[in-house]
Formats: sequence, C-alpha cells, structure tokens
Amino acid sequence: MGIRELQGYATFFMTIVFVVILYGYIVYLYRSEKKGEKDYEKLGNIALDDEITSTPINSSNSILDEKKGEK
Amino acid sequence: MFHWLEKNPFFFAVGVFLVIAFAGLVEILPNFAEASRPVTGLRPYTVLELAGKEVYKKDNCIACHSQLIRPFKSETDRYGEYSLSGEYAYDRPFLWGSKRTGPDLHRVGNYRTTEWHENHMWQPNSVVPGSIMPAYKHQFTNVADIETAYAEAVTVKNIFKTPYGDDIKAGKKAWEAYRPKVLAEARKIASQMKNKDVKDMVKAGKVPEVVALIAYLNSLGAKRYNAKK
Amino acid sequence: MQSNAALEYDYTIAKLYTYTAILFGFIGMLIGTLIASQLAFPELNYLFGEYGTFSRLRPLHTNVVIYGFTVSGIFATFYYLSQRVLKVSMAESKIAMTAGKIQFVLYVIAATGMVISELMGYTQSKEYAQMEWPLDLLIVVIWVLWGVIMFALIGIRREKALYISMWYFIATFLGVAMLYLFNNMAVPTYFTSGGLGSIMHSVSMYSGTNDALVQWWWGHNAVAFVFTVPIVGMIYYFLPKESGQSVYSYKLSLLSFWGLMFVYLWAGSHHLLYSTVPDWMQTMGSVFSVVLILPSWGSAINMLLTMKGEWNQLTDNPLIKFMVLASTFYMLSTLEGPIQAIKSVNAIAHFTDWIPGHVHDGVLGWVAFMIMSGLFHMAPRMFKREIYSKKLIEAQFWIQTTAVVLYFTSMWIAGITQGMMWRAVDEYGNLMYSFIDTVTVLHPYYAIRALSGVLFVTGFVMFAYNMIKTMTSAKELTEEPQFRTPMA
Repeated sequence: MGIRELQGYATFFMTIVFVVILYGYIVYLYRSEKKGEKDYEKLGNIALDDEITSTPINSSNSILDEKKGEK
Repeated sequence: MFHWLEKNPFFFAVGVFLVIAFAGLVEILPNFAEASRPVTGLRPYTVLELAGKEVYKKDNCIACHSQLIRPFKSETDRYGEYSLSGEYAYDRPFLWGSKRTGPDLHRVGNYRTTEWHENHMWQPNSVVPGSIMPAYKHQFTNVADIETAYAEAVTVKNIFKTPYGDDIKAGKKAWEAYRPKVLAEARKIASQMKNKDVKDMVKAGKVPEVVALIAYLNSLGAKRYNAKK
Repeated sequence: MQSNAALEYDYTIAKLYTYTAILFGFIGMLIGTLIASQLAFPELNYLFGEYGTFSRLRPLHTNVVIYGFTVSGIFATFYYLSQRVLKVSMAESKIAMTAGKIQFVLYVIAATGMVISELMGYTQSKEYAQMEWPLDLLIVVIWVLWGVIMFALIGIRREKALYISMWYFIATFLGVAMLYLFNNMAVPTYFTSGGLGSIMHSVSMYSGTNDALVQWWWGHNAVAFVFTVPIVGMIYYFLPKESGQSVYSYKLSLLSFWGLMFVYLWAGSHHLLYSTVPDWMQTMGSVFSVVLILPSWGSAINMLLTMKGEWNQLTDNPLIKFMVLASTFYMLSTLEGPIQAIKSVNAIAHFTDWIPGHVHDGVLGWVAFMIMSGLFHMAPRMFKREIYSKKLIEAQFWIQTTAVVLYFTSMWIAGITQGMMWRAVDEYGNLMYSFIDTVTVLHPYYAIRALSGVLFVTGFVMFAYNMIKTMTSAKELTEEPQFRTPMA
C-alpha cells in the first residue's frame, strides 16, 4: 500500500503547489502592471492589428529586427 | 520567474509539458503493478479464442457491448458477479467498451450456448425479438485469421510472459505443428452448429469467423478460470 | 526576408487544409447520420454488406470527424492565424514551407489509409486510437513536422510577445504528442513471431486494467487537447478579429490558460483519493481542485464579455452568432461533463446515450461551429473574394442550431430513461425490465437523433456550397477587410 499512500500525498501537495503558483501568478500579473513594468492588455491588439507590415505591439528583438538595425 | 516563462517560448513549452506530464504520472503509474496481476487459476485465451477476439475487434462489438460489470445490485442481478481487475490480466487490449446499446458480455459464456450464438449472429431478431443489432452473416463465410492469432500468442508469451505451453513457439514450423490443435477446437464448436457452410469449411481445414467468435464468447466468464483448478 | 518584394502572408497550406476540412467534415457527418439512422431503423445496416454495419462504421465516424475534420480545421486555422499573430510569413521560412507541404501530403495518405484500413476491420479497438501501428508511425511524423513548423515560425517572429492563441496551439502540440505516444505503445506480432500472420496486427503493451487506465487517460485528454485547447485558441483570435473588439481581459485569458492546463489533466483526480491518506487531506485536495476550476472557466466568460457593448453585432453578423453560440455551448458542455463525473450521476449515466449526447453538444455546438466560422472568416482573406451568400449562412445557423438542440435533448431523455430502467426493481427486488425493453423504448429518441443528423449535414452541405462558391465565383475584393467579414 506504500505506493498508494505516496500517490495520495503527492496529489495533495501538488494540488496545493499548483494553487499557490496560479494565484501567485495572478498577483504577479496585477502587480507588474501597477508598477508599470508591463501592459498586458495591449497584447490583445496583436489579433486586431495583424498586418505583416504593421509595427509589432511588443517591439521585437528577434534576429530579423537586429539585422534591420544594422542596416 | 513568471516574466522569464512568458518571454521564452522554449521554457514556456517545457513548463506546459511538466504540468501535463506530472498529472498523468501521479494518476496512472501507482496502479500499474497492482492491476496487472491475474486472479488465481485464470488461464490465457486459447489460439482459437484469440482469433475470436480479433473477430470481436474487427466487427467492433465494443461499439455497443461492454465487458465490465459494475458492483451494483441491478448489474450483478442482470449479468452475474461484478468484474475484478485480475480477470482482465490477459486482455490486450482491454475491451470494456463505453456504451451499452446492447447488454454487457463479460460473463456471457455462463448463460449463452453455441446454438444460441449461432442463431443470434445469423439473425438477432430470431432469438431476441425487437433487437436492433445487425445480422453478421458474413462471419459464416469469412475465414478467421488463426495464424495471426497464433502470432499474438507467441508475442505475449515471449514478451509479456503470458503462461502459454511450450508448444507455442516462433516460426513457421512450430505453427504448422500447432495448427491441428486449433482446428480440433474449432471442430468441437462446429459440431454443435447446424450451418452447413460452416461445417463444410471446418471439414476443409478452415475456421469460419463465427466459430472463432463463439469460442471467444463462450470463454467469457467462469469457463476460463474455474475449469483448470 | 528581403524588404524589396512586398511581403505577404502565404496561405498555401492553410488553403489545402481548408479543402480537407470541408471534405472530411462532410464524409464524417454523413457517416454519423447513417449510423444514427441505423439505430432507429436497423434495416439500414445492410446497405454495404459487411462494411456497412453500425459497428464497423462507428469508429470510422469518430475518426473521420476527429482526425479528418477537426484536425484539418486545427491545421488550417493554425497556418492562417499563426502567421498573423507572429507577423511573419510562411514564405519567409523555407523549412516551414517545405515541411508544411510534406506534412499535408502525409496527412492525406494517413487519412486515406485510416479510412480504408478501418473499413477493412484493422483496428486496435481502443476508442479514438483505432489506427494500427503503421498509421500510428505516420501520424508521429506528421505531428513532429507540425512542431518543426511551429517553432520555425516562432523562431523568426517579429511580434515578440506570443499571442494567447499560440499558447493554446503549443499546448495542443505537446499534449497530443505525449498522450498519443503512450497510448499507442504496441508490439507488432509479425516481427516477434518469426514472420507469422498479418503484418498489420499488434498487441497493446499494457493489459486489462492498465490498458484501460492509459486509454482513458488518452480518451479524456484527447478531448481536452483536440476538442478544447486548440478551439479555445481559435476563438481567442477569430472573435476579437471579426468583431473588432480586443479581448475583454488579456490577463484573464492568461490565467484561464494555466487554469485549464492545471485542471484538465487533474480532472480524474477524484479517483485518487484513497483511504490510507488522512481524511482532512482528501477533503482539502478536493476543495483545492475546485478552486482550480475557477480560472479555467475564465475563457468562455472572457469571450462573452469581449462582446460587451457590441451586442448589436450579434443580430447583423452571422459569424458572430456562430462564435457566441459556440462559447455558450462550451460553457454548457464543460458544466455537463463534471456533473456526469459525480459518482452517483455517473452510476446512471455511464454506458447510456447521455454520453454521446454530452459529446455532441460539445463537438457540434462548440467545435464544428467554431471551425466553420473560422473558415468563413478566413475565406475572403485567403481567396480575396467576399462570402458568396449571407442569407445561406443565416439559414445554416438556424438549421444547425436546431439540430444540436434536438440531438442533446433527445439523448438526455434517452440516456436517463435507459439508466433508470436498467436499475428499476419491483416490490420484491427483482429487475423490472429485460434488456431488450430498454432498447425498444428508445426508438423515438433514436429517430429524433437521426433527424437531427440529417439537419446538421444539410447545414454542413450549405456551408460547403457557400465556401466553394466563395472560392470560385463570389465578387472579388480589392483589399483585405480589416475586421468584419464581407458577405453578399
């Protein structure tokens, strides 16, 4: 029965861990927005303004743009 | 920590994978060893029964019939003792089904006979008036693939240590030597049947699908583990 | 990569999968209607000899609608919207483009192989994993190619932040890969027996109860990762884009993603509460599992709130109708599922027609509606023509909505009737009904369901006709519409 017991405890602790992580994430989301580090809501515009020529919402540092920068 | 996860698609993917993999690990693994032990006295399926199981799979009986009797009085009254995990130890794959358009079959061998099955597979309405099950007349002429069934027996014996006798071995020669045993078993069932084509085919050394299927159905229930004690 | 040629999104692959989605959708739903009719009118079993029985056709129905229609829909929408939210064209990546073409060819081969082999009766007899090992291997290749394309595009993206839809598609990729591999572990008998018997045959690596555990781990989560996760990904793109409203709360969408990831695979965790663990822990575990569900419900509510202040669009844009109804059905079936998982409810519902009923309000009302509206949204942008007929979409919407309602109401009644009759006992404690009584009583409900199938297929034919007309003969557009899909 040892493994069953272990399973029970693992389930219990992982559920707690997940709840803590998830709710920690909620706190993180709101706090970083309050501090002005991030603006999550503007990311919603990625779907609306999705022309290939339009400026990225979250300005990119991908390889492509670095190349552009060099020019 | 969260910033880092959001920024990097690779670590994000790893995170997602860990979350979904862990749940499976905790849910499934601990039951594994325990659930695979057979109940005492259970014998593996014979080659003919395995061929019948293939017919059961091929014509997909599982679409309408379960093989899982739940521990409720209404079910044990209707179908017999409830099912035990160890009874399925030699079932690869498991054939519990998920829908009962027709009745459960886990103990059908206890209360149905070869003649009944023969009539039923030929014309379900003739034994169960009002039945919506289709007739499976093609099973009376199609030949069951006993060689593949034998190959399966060899495989589960060698790889999964299913307790078959020493006469089940890999290779064409061993199969040729074993073949008469399967045919003898088939003749026994055919002798209780009345369909002439079936009898002729068995005489000619071929096993019609319906014979294999009936062998399999008869094995479901007590016959497979009380007999050999 | 050069900026001299005007850069455009490349929809070659998306178009190909649009065609297969329409084709397989029609075939799969037609077979579905046929087998629904067979239950009401058994004579229909004999149309195609041994290949036309209910039992042989039923897995073909599920597989064609899942792997044909839904997966085509997922790929079509993925190859369309991933380019747009990443702001990168598939034409920019040689790897992605080549892999995409190879993937499509392999996909068609696998799908054809699936149909033929299942008609012939080659099957592993595991639900939604019937395909035998050669096809399984092919599917692994297809899936790996998808991953290559996905990460190739992500690697060269201009939009640094991954839009929420991409999160969902990545999760689909990983989830299905893991579950599919584990569930389909099998040994081909031909090679282990010294060349005996059929080369197609294999035995499962797991036996009995273990096999059942793995299978339903797959069965349950295949529903999660094929019918839920990617479809949520679709609605997060198509509804905002079509309505011109950005997602009501992006933060909520991030949370609902993790909520769904955490909860969906733990949905079976109530099986895990065993007596050796202290009682208070079991209770706490259940309570917290419920706490986890809250964020997972966020998606549907988020979608409905996105329409806040814009509900007039619901009356004059049929695509918005489809999508709003889809998220409503999503809420309905995600509520129904947990209810069926309650032990005492499950005792009645399991093995009855309530289960197909539940599945179909999800797959018809949520999955099919979402895929069809997504494809409608994509068509004018891919083919540069407006939608052929708005009236036809309106009619299709009402016909199919009626079909879904008829389907799940008739199956609710059928399932509960059947479940109650199986357990009914008389005053002496004897069973009241023989099994066949519980079959014949269902005839009217089966007939209603067959009718609902006919209606849904009719709607799908209207969809197909509308799409084909849009591709070939509708009015051409001079420039790409920004939000609302133009229709005549």
